[in-house]
Amino acid sequence: MGVLLEVKNLTKKYSGLTAVNDFSFEVKRGEFTGLIGPNGAGKTTLFNLISGFEKPSSGTIRFDGRDITGMKPHKIVNLGIARTFQLVRSFKFMSLLDNISVSCLSPRGKRLAKEYGIDESASSILAAVGLIDKARIPPIILPHGDLRKLQIGKALGTNPQLLLLDEPFSGLSHEEQKGITELIIKLHADGVTVFMTGHVLRELMHLVPRAIAMHQGKYITEGPPEEVAKNKIVLEAYLGKGSEKLA
Amino acid sequence: MKETKHDKISNFPSYLRDWIKTFRGKATIICLIGLGIIPFITNNSYIIGIFNTFMIYTIFAASWDFLAGYVGQVSFGHAIFLGIAGYTTAFSTRYLGSPWWIALLLGACFAVGFSLIVGVPALRLKGPYLALGTLAMSLILYQLFLMGSLGILWENAFPGTELFGTDGIGQVPPISDIPIVQYVAIFLIMCASMLIFTHLVKSKTGTIFKAIRDDETGTSASGINTTKYKILAFLISGFFAGIAGGLYALRFSGVNPGVFQPLYSFYAIIMAAVGGIASISGAALGAFIFVFLGEILRLLGDIPQLAVFGGFVEPIFIFSILLILIIRFAEQGVLKPMLERLQNMWDLLLGR
Repeated sequence: MGVLLEVKNLTKKYSGLTAVNDFSFEVKRGEFTGLIGPNGAGKTTLFNLISGFEKPSSGTIRFDGRDITGMKPHKIVNLGIARTFQLVRSFKFMSLLDNISVSCLSPRGKRLAKEYGIDESASSILAAVGLIDKARIPPIILPHGDLRKLQIGKALGTNPQLLLLDEPFSGLSHEEQKGITELIIKLHADGVTVFMTGHVLRELMHLVPRAIAMHQGKYITEGPPEEVAKNKIVLEAYLGKGSEKLA
Repeated sequence: MKETKHDKISNFPSYLRDWIKTFRGKATIICLIGLGIIPFITNNSYIIGIFNTFMIYTIFAASWDFLAGYVGQVSFGHAIFLGIAGYTTAFSTRYLGSPWWIALLLGACFAVGFSLIVGVPALRLKGPYLALGTLAMSLILYQLFLMGSLGILWENAFPGTELFGTDGIGQVPPISDIPIVQYVAIFLIMCASMLIFTHLVKSKTGTIFKAIRDDETGTSASGINTTKYKILAFLISGFFAGIAGGLYALRFSGVNPGVFQPLYSFYAIIMAAVGGIASISGAALGAFIFVFLGEILRLLGDIPQLAVFGGFVEPIFIFSILLILIIRFAEQGVLKPMLERLQNMWDLLLGR
């Protein structure tokens, strides 16, 4: 298992605020990793840096042995990193099929779609995320859970090696969470490397074999989630100082 | 790839057949036939002239609507392309003796060049800033072409030709001295332009354009180079606005700096909004209403008894009010509701 994503000394400073502070970690090919931390820990900023939507102040990001630091988002996607957003984004006035087609029309997505055609590939992705019966309707009338599925479908259209999921469970009902969980487990079983964030520890605990903890932009610890959850700084970050006595 | 292409070709006639079967398809075909036979049933040069203007404005409005309605890039300086191409076409037919179609293509190419000059820096601007930036650029060009001092410099450099100055370029020969030929030429160019636009917005490239309109960040997260596609959209829109500008110069036998005025950019917006934003055939309906209502208002203005109301029947006065009413009460324009009403009536007539 080689290293797929290697982040070294990554720092992002805004005026007066360091959102990501000297952060280093690795994700191996085929791994299923969680990034945990309370709200405002810098998880989304870290994702924005990896996916190219923000440029780091210093540090390097390597993907598959290649330096991708500061590359444009679309280039990074075409190298094989796809992401979803915490606040769902969709092409509101286009059918779900067309929503997915856009990803299939990217240079990397086209290579995958070449054999069957764009529409067929987009349909098969819609089927995989469980939205095929809604292929012709636009996302504005979809419930939140379906929008989350659509996001994952849009990411899959680009045929990613590494899937970055930013808070895939936020705002979902228990039922909807179950559906998304099953989908993510299936994708990982199909060979996609998954790296996901979550601010609710419980959600990630049963899902990922390895978790990385982040607090105030800094790397805290990593390991199996049960061990990470026992870490003093992690407990403090979630529950406040002195809480280790409670745990 | 080869297979999908083959599929498209074999699917094309059935796709066209399906379209003709719809009410919309039938209505479009009837309108086009009606428009096509007009010069054969009347030789009134005034009426033919109005229809020529209408068809030219249709291309212009569609080029604006393509960029704004389908790609989400709102330009308030579309007159730039109309003016540049108008000047190029007028200059090359009048002074270089080019045949009209070469001059027309040359004008469109110049417009494409300017769409690069306008588009590339404008791509860093978003939303209202893009609108303001393009508006400012059209004002710069208006002022440049108006300048008498530049005109004198030009005349000294190239004696016997005029470019800058308030007079513009006059005495441009028409497409043909036979009005029917000119009419048919404009008609065919309009049909071709509309067909290309319609096909484009329905194609896979059109899907990407609409994605950029709905969510640009999301489109780049889908692995699409949005800058590349926005430039492409600017080039296409500039080309067809340029075709409209060239035809304009040929139809009105000349151009003057006035074509660079924001008023012309505004015309494109009015026509597209009246017909319905993000609808290519809506642009045609908008142009139709704009040109014919404008002509009626002009005739009303000429009636001496109505002279007191002079300012109130000014086309721009009425159209500005119309635009406000449209964006307030009928956001989707008049084409869609009108088609729905007509279809209901049609179904009623057939007893469905």
